[in-house]
Amino acid sequence: MVVRKFEEELKYMEKLNPYCWKIKKGFQPNMNVEGVFYVNSTLEKLMLDELKNACRPGMTGGFLPGVKQIANVAALPGIVGKSIGLPDVHSGYGFAIGNMAAFDMNDPNSVVSPGGVGFDINCGVRLLRTNLFENDVAPVKEQLAQSLFDHIPVGVGSKGIIPMNARDLEEALEMGMDWSLREGYVWAEDKEHCEEYGRMLNADPNKVSFRAKKRGLPQLGTLGAGNHYAEIQVVDEIYDKWAACKMGIEEKGQVCVMIHSGSRGFGHQVATDALVQMEKAMSRDKIETNDRQLACARINSQEGQDYLKSMAAAANFAWVNRSSMTFLTRQAFAKQFQTTPDDLDMHVIYDVSHNIAKVEEHVVDGKLKTLLVHRKGSTRAFPPNHPLIPVDYQLTGQPVLIGGTMGTCSYVLTGTEQGMIETYGSTCHGAGRALSRAKSRRNLDYTDVLAKLEEMGISIRVASPKLVMEEAPESYKNVTDVVNTCHSAGISKKCIKLRPIAVIKG
Amino acid sequence: MEATFLIIGGGIAGISCAETLSYLEPDQKIILISESSLIKTAVNLQVLTKLLTTFDVQEKETSSLTESHPNIIVVSDRLTQVCNTENTVKTASGQNYSYKYLCICTGAYPKLIPQADMFRNYIVGIRDTDSVETFTKKLQIAKKVVIVGNGGIASEVIHKIRNVEVHWIIKDKHISATFVDPGAAEFFLSSIQEIKKDDPKPCKRMRFKIEDSKKSGAALGPDWYENLEIYGSSKATPRDIKIHYQTEISKIVMSEGNQYPIEVILINDEVIPCDLIISATGVLPATNFELSSDIKLSEDGGILVNEFMQSSVSNIYAAGDVCTANWQLAKHWFQMKLWTQARQMGCFAAKSMAAAFAREEIYQDFCFEMFTHSTKLFGYKVILLGLFNGQTLGTNYEILLRMTKGLEYIKFVLENNRLQGAVLIGDTDLEEMCENLILNQIDLSPFGEDILNPNIDIEDYFD
Repeated sequence: MVVRKFEEELKYMEKLNPYCWKIKKGFQPNMNVEGVFYVNSTLEKLMLDELKNACRPGMTGGFLPGVKQIANVAALPGIVGKSIGLPDVHSGYGFAIGNMAAFDMNDPNSVVSPGGVGFDINCGVRLLRTNLFENDVAPVKEQLAQSLFDHIPVGVGSKGIIPMNARDLEEALEMGMDWSLREGYVWAEDKEHCEEYGRMLNADPNKVSFRAKKRGLPQLGTLGAGNHYAEIQVVDEIYDKWAACKMGIEEKGQVCVMIHSGSRGFGHQVATDALVQMEKAMSRDKIETNDRQLACARINSQEGQDYLKSMAAAANFAWVNRSSMTFLTRQAFAKQFQTTPDDLDMHVIYDVSHNIAKVEEHVVDGKLKTLLVHRKGSTRAFPPNHPLIPVDYQLTGQPVLIGGTMGTCSYVLTGTEQGMIETYGSTCHGAGRALSRAKSRRNLDYTDVLAKLEEMGISIRVASPKLVMEEAPESYKNVTDVVNTCHSAGISKKCIKLRPIAVIKG
Repeated sequence: MEATFLIIGGGIAGISCAETLSYLEPDQKIILISESSLIKTAVNLQVLTKLLTTFDVQEKETSSLTESHPNIIVVSDRLTQVCNTENTVKTASGQNYSYKYLCICTGAYPKLIPQADMFRNYIVGIRDTDSVETFTKKLQIAKKVVIVGNGGIASEVIHKIRNVEVHWIIKDKHISATFVDPGAAEFFLSSIQEIKKDDPKPCKRMRFKIEDSKKSGAALGPDWYENLEIYGSSKATPRDIKIHYQTEISKIVMSEGNQYPIEVILINDEVIPCDLIISATGVLPATNFELSSDIKLSEDGGILVNEFMQSSVSNIYAAGDVCTANWQLAKHWFQMKLWTQARQMGCFAAKSMAAAFAREEIYQDFCFEMFTHSTKLFGYKVILLGLFNGQTLGTNYEILLRMTKGLEYIKFVLENNRLQGAVLIGDTDLEEMCENLILNQIDLSPFGEDILNPNIDIEDYFD
């Protein structure tokens, strides 16, 4: 990283309008294009403070501030347009989370980078609606939460709700939501409301390592863990009555269920395997990047193609996961209200992917180009009339689901024409964290412990907080700030606000 | 009687196996033979990361299992012989059971100090619920006790014991050596002498009183001590614990004319008169039944199993403390006789048997790729991941440490700048990230010590 004084760094940045900043070439070495990031005044302060903190002497640690990461991505071979930071951008492996970038498929030097997709491949959000209202659900939310994740055999098929053995898994990886449909876990119309119809056709399970497959199978019959959860939500605010109506949301108080899930361990292994392969490919093809974490390979190389095929398998796997949770949700509601999911109108409003790379057509400098679009911690947001969005949403634009962190508000936005032009039809994905967030001050003290450990003859390093910041701002990027910025900047449009009434952890 | 699947043992491994089989093969008959009339099931399962789970153990009447799993029959009896050539077993009551697939989950029994036989009245081994009862009863009239052993049970007794003078005999240089390094032991030490005011919690474990319950029940649950009151008779000394490091008992003698009935003599010739000796020095596999030599055993008597929990006889499986892992172990996994592994092995044996029965191909469960264990020591949440004490690495590794007294102790074990294991004590919220870093083997050299910098929040950095 180039170390300059903060005042010097600021010379490479320019505020284009109240919601958008430009990062000029030269901010980091070898930038092929400029960078850009979207902020409001609160988020702007967080972004700049983060950079300012990193500019102090002795602060060049292993973690780069978001703006530096955006600029390093701008230096990747084959990037077109700009390297784009969305309002929730925050530090991540290689690419910052909330950084999207597009690469020209017709440029032989263009690359694909696993760090630009993320480890939890096709981590995403799905929203189900119901015709119930808050006062129907509030008294029984505990029971609903309970039955939603009871590990009871609920399967209708012979194979259980999730792929359990080697053959099921191969099929699920290849077929994505078509597998869930064939096994009877989802409705045919669910697929319509899913990016790619819930199946990436270039998925090739043969390109996936044995270890990834083992890591993907459910552990001992449970549905999983971590950032894998569902929320029962109620409509809190409707900003665009007409678009909401197209999604089947009629009025405040209506109950929805939001499902968060991804490919988890499977995706982690696919990404890890690819990073190892790509390091080799980089030295062979003499690809240089500003940051070793930005390991990448030419799209048309063996490594690049293998990664895209295994990434697609991981994406399919994530859709199967979200479909299984959809099935459980419908079963739980039907059981609780002694009716059918059909009568409860439990349709999928939409299903979005946050961590994915896709081949798309976009207009760049007035020319139609085929691009490989990396969206990491970023959501596709296609405008009205785009051919790839379902017929119900042709006039409104694609629904974009923004999950807050667990327990905070969530939003539904719609895609806009301006977003298509400025950000390759992409917008934010949720809340974000700035790099530095001082937790409660700790009194780190190692004296007695070190003496004991040193007897073992092992070399020991200790963590230190380095410079303690004079002020420790709550540098969390609030989902409402993030969403309002996207709306004001015009890259997507607010439609519905949802408030959680119960969180269900898997 | 005959069944497709026959399971021996009513502990966590056996019950997990029976429940999983019942789920996978709801139409097949499953018989479970349990020595105790109570069975132990894992309840309140909480999934912390992909591989790490915590659960409570609840003792239930056998009917609770058969009610929820109609294809399971539970028989209260003791295994005496396995006749693998006929695919049958014999029991103490003279019954014969035939099976298509057999899973042996008979657990382990406490390894008492060698002198135990001669001083039965003064030595208690803690392993199962019944032995805890004996122990608490004997302790009520004791003023001075000796505790031998350095594992989880000994540590928890030390944590909870009150109103008695305690001498803790450990053969290692530091306390709780089974689980933690000397640094973490130091972290805990300060909390040993003080009396912690634990929040009174409702007992998670139901205890049904059963007449004539058999003495050799299954092992204790992870929360066995939670609501246990272990009080001696000496109110004058609420907390008095002396630790004797790096020593062992050399012999025990009856004392004459002393206020204490026995005297413990250590190998350094120190003499400790006391009322009672508590032996918590580990366990041995319980293969105390006739077994043909077709079934290969390990040196300590455990049934050798392959990566599918299958013994050397193809339709006989074993799980839990009674078995010994005999496959090419993954780099970050090793066997330890723990609740966590008993449950994992029980469930996986069931999956393997069901797959064999249905002639399906399965992969070994991924939980055997990396050691995970979650427990509580001295009132702190303790999570152990991978090679948490540098196991198998010799001295060829590096430690990265973060500690705040009384709050948290985080130790990363690094080899070539890649995370191999971690000890997480306190509420660190780092378990999921650590699990992924160990499994992914990402090069952490660019981050240096910053990976544990308390001012940097990296929870979703690797998402």
